Amino acid sequence: MANNRYDLAVIGSGPGGYEAAIRASQLKMRTCVIERDRPGGVCLNWGCIPSKALLNSAETMEIIAAAGREHGIQTGDVTFDFARVIARSREAADKLSRGVRFLLRKNNIDLFEASAAFAAPDRLTLSRSDGKAPAVNTIEADRILIATGSRERLFPGMTIGDGMLTSREALVYDQLPESIAVIGAGAVGLEFAYFYHCFGAKVTIIELEKQVLPGCDAEIAEELRRSLLKRKIDLLLGHGYKSAARHGDRWTVTVDNNGQSRTVEAEMVLVAVGRVPNSDGLGLDKVGVELAPGGFIRIDDSFRASRSEIYAIGDVIRPPLLAHKASAEGIAAVEIMAGAREPGFDLLNIPACVYCQPEVATIGMTEAAARAAGIEVKIGKFPFRANGKAVAVNHVEGFVKLVAGKKYGEVIGCQIIGHGATDLISEVVLGKTLEATTLEFGRTVHPHPTLSETVMEAALAAEGEAINF
Amino acid sequence: MSIDITMPKLSDTMEEGKILRWLKHPGDKVTHGEPLAEVETDKADMVMEAFDDGVMQEILLAEGESAPVGAPIARLAAPGEEIKPAAPPSPGALAELAPAAEQPESAPVQAAQPPRAASRPVAVRKRSLKEAEEPEASNGAAPPAEAAKPSHPEPGGDGPEPKAMPRPEPEREPAGATRDTAAMRPASVPPRTTAPAHEHGDQAKIKASPLARRAAEEAGVDLAQVQGTGPEGRITKRDIDNFLRQQQLFRQRRLVTPREGLPGTWEELSKMRRTIAQRMATSKREIPHFYVTMEIDMEEAVRLKKSLEATELFDEAITYNDIVIKACTLALGRYPRMNASFENDGIRIHPSINIGMAVAVEDGLIVPVIKECQQLTLPEIARAAHRLVAKAAQGGFTADELSGATFSISNMGMLGIEHFSAVIVPPQAAILAVSAIKERPVVRNGQVAVGTTMMLTVSCDHRIVDGVVAGRFLQEMKRFLENPASLLV
Repeated sequence: MANNRYDLAVIGSGPGGYEAAIRASQLKMRTCVIERDRPGGVCLNWGCIPSKALLNSAETMEIIAAAGREHGIQTGDVTFDFARVIARSREAADKLSRGVRFLLRKNNIDLFEASAAFAAPDRLTLSRSDGKAPAVNTIEADRILIATGSRERLFPGMTIGDGMLTSREALVYDQLPESIAVIGAGAVGLEFAYFYHCFGAKVTIIELEKQVLPGCDAEIAEELRRSLLKRKIDLLLGHGYKSAARHGDRWTVTVDNNGQSRTVEAEMVLVAVGRVPNSDGLGLDKVGVELAPGGFIRIDDSFRASRSEIYAIGDVIRPPLLAHKASAEGIAAVEIMAGAREPGFDLLNIPACVYCQPEVATIGMTEAAARAAGIEVKIGKFPFRANGKAVAVNHVEGFVKLVAGKKYGEVIGCQIIGHGATDLISEVVLGKTLEATTLEFGRTVHPHPTLSETVMEAALAAEGEAINF
Repeated sequence: MSIDITMPKLSDTMEEGKILRWLKHPGDKVTHGEPLAEVETDKADMVMEAFDDGVMQEILLAEGESAPVGAPIARLAAPGEEIKPAAPPSPGALAELAPAAEQPESAPVQAAQPPRAASRPVAVRKRSLKEAEEPEASNGAAPPAEAAKPSHPEPGGDGPEPKAMPRPEPEREPAGATRDTAAMRPASVPPRTTAPAHEHGDQAKIKASPLARRAAEEAGVDLAQVQGTGPEGRITKRDIDNFLRQQQLFRQRRLVTPREGLPGTWEELSKMRRTIAQRMATSKREIPHFYVTMEIDMEEAVRLKKSLEATELFDEAITYNDIVIKACTLALGRYPRMNASFENDGIRIHPSINIGMAVAVEDGLIVPVIKECQQLTLPEIARAAHRLVAKAAQGGFTADELSGATFSISNMGMLGIEHFSAVIVPPQAAILAVSAIKERPVVRNGQVAVGTTMMLTVSCDHRIVDGVVAGRFLQEMKRFLENPASLLV
């Protein structure tokens, strides 16, 4: 029987937990990971990865649908096997989950498939929901890192089933509905709306705020709204969810707009109204770990919770609830533990992406947020329709909007909407990390013809020197 | 009817002032409270504001020249009044004629220069002002010695040694001989808009972000002197900001030309030095000083500052100076007798805590004041302090910002000073001398250990307070600094 004492025990094997564990192992800590579901967490199994597989199928449908009109390539009647679409997405998830298992083994990290709860600040009790005995009953560790992530938020009284689902159920639901009401126009809601729309479902999006992607730059949101309308996706902005009732095999969703209520009929309802941290069920109160409002675990700048042996990272500590933020925090936390990095973490340099078409990618502050914070900015905008590659490949929707400091032109923020936006943003993120200014963006030679030229031109535009627009 | 504008008394001790730059010129509309001119006084460069509405009619004291307090320096026409050209061409009329006459020469100048420096034909106006000045000088208002002096030693006296080429800050320059070569100036104006901070010499080898390079170049900071905190010592914008703040706190109003003086020369006292000489001598002559020192454990305060930095909770980076000011305010609140002055053979205990902080500038020091400290939170104190320090570097204090202190702090921590005592600024009761935070041997539980400590020395006026009060005041400061969470409340 192996020694159950570790330098570090990580609860959760999502992108935050497993990457932290690998970094810890690299830094010579004896490390284990405890996972109650599948290795890889929500991201690999129930989020980022399988949804991107579905969106790739959706985009393929959209390309085929336009093939005759745009390219003169006639396809005849197009049919599809929706169950196969879902199955392919599961295959991608399974493959990556196996990959995580392999990476943990390769790095000599013990994986325990069980639920964990604190018995003491340095001791965890393991249990399994299937009644089987876990490999070990308790684990002791000098430090314990909570990386338990988050789960889908539901409205009070709402139950899942009978065609009422969250993204998690939708990812394995292999029947295509003829109509669907999507509650919430955030990233998840928009991605599923786009997915179902491409396979021919009638989609209605319901959003309480007055714009899609609440909190995003207003011009970007407006461009996306127009794009959704062009695709004939119905949008009810400024409409709050009231209730949903099942009538026969259909749902009637009641929504409210300034006291005026109306109903939306649909075969399926997808609830995408945010996520809640998984800070319950761990016995945190027993070991004196404090929670902040919203159920997030309160931490200091070293990711230390209110007990000095206990650390936490990722969705369970604070927004934004994003896989790459969790990974970065996990690695930072472990390096701080090892004394290899100074405490602190820059939350303003975390990109965020939406993968519907056109894609949206953002970094840093919006123009409005910067101005509200009293930062003097100049704006550089460059539309895709003025970019050679975008015209050639017929993706002319969208633009790059760069928010630069007025005096020196440093990146305060950047928002991109358009094809490939989620890949384009990385250049700006790197630039922001290195404190590049519009001068460096503008003088860096970008290959022609590529969509990346839009970023360079936006930087030039901020100085009033765009060449092609 | 026209209104005479006279040289204002911008500080308690000011006797005369020198016009550095007129901000309003004949023909300009002036409204109450608008800045009229930058004036050099014994304490600092300050902005003089208008007390009346009207139209600037005539400037009587040229840039670079001095006049005693109360002497007329300009004339304002009441609103609506015609500016009538006098028989000998008045400055107003000349100034209006001048641009046309100067056009061929000055056109390229205007294109290359920053707009504020470019618009006025300085040489022409100066000539006209000389004429206007003659009758004023003989009207007896000014003590003859003072009035006569400016024309001779002044141009070189206050600035660095004269140079053949005009310097790149035309608006700051005393109107000496170099002023007339307006047409030569473009050569000295750096090509700001296009010059990147790129590679020249050693600066290029230092790891620094492009943003940091630009900010450093603009502020005239030598990157070699900056400690980088980015990965592998890379210098970031934050490092430049911190460097500038520290520099401004403790030295050199102009980084490039610290005033040191040449061996074997005699120099006349500048106004600022004269004031310092008088007041410090008065202080030591009249105030019975005594000094009390205490060692403060700064470990918790260091930790507080670090965690404030790491969490970036406040926009303003909090410095140790800010922390000391806050702790001092709290301690003064408990020992109000330390916040007093000796006046008319009595003791006035002040209702507000206005803390003056000694800031070194090129030729001496000034003591800008943070008012009503008892009402300010730590970040508010930080903001006020940093603003005043920035002003000390750039000039432009209002009279209000340099007067009304009820207690002063002199901080030499950044220079690594072990321990020192300061001279009281009359009529205040005390001044606090802050030294460096250092690792020093301390005794804990009977064992010698390495601690992080700082020495505080308070100099007190024995006519106002006795040793017990001074000691208790320092004990109180120690309590706050060693339990710094109290500073955030």
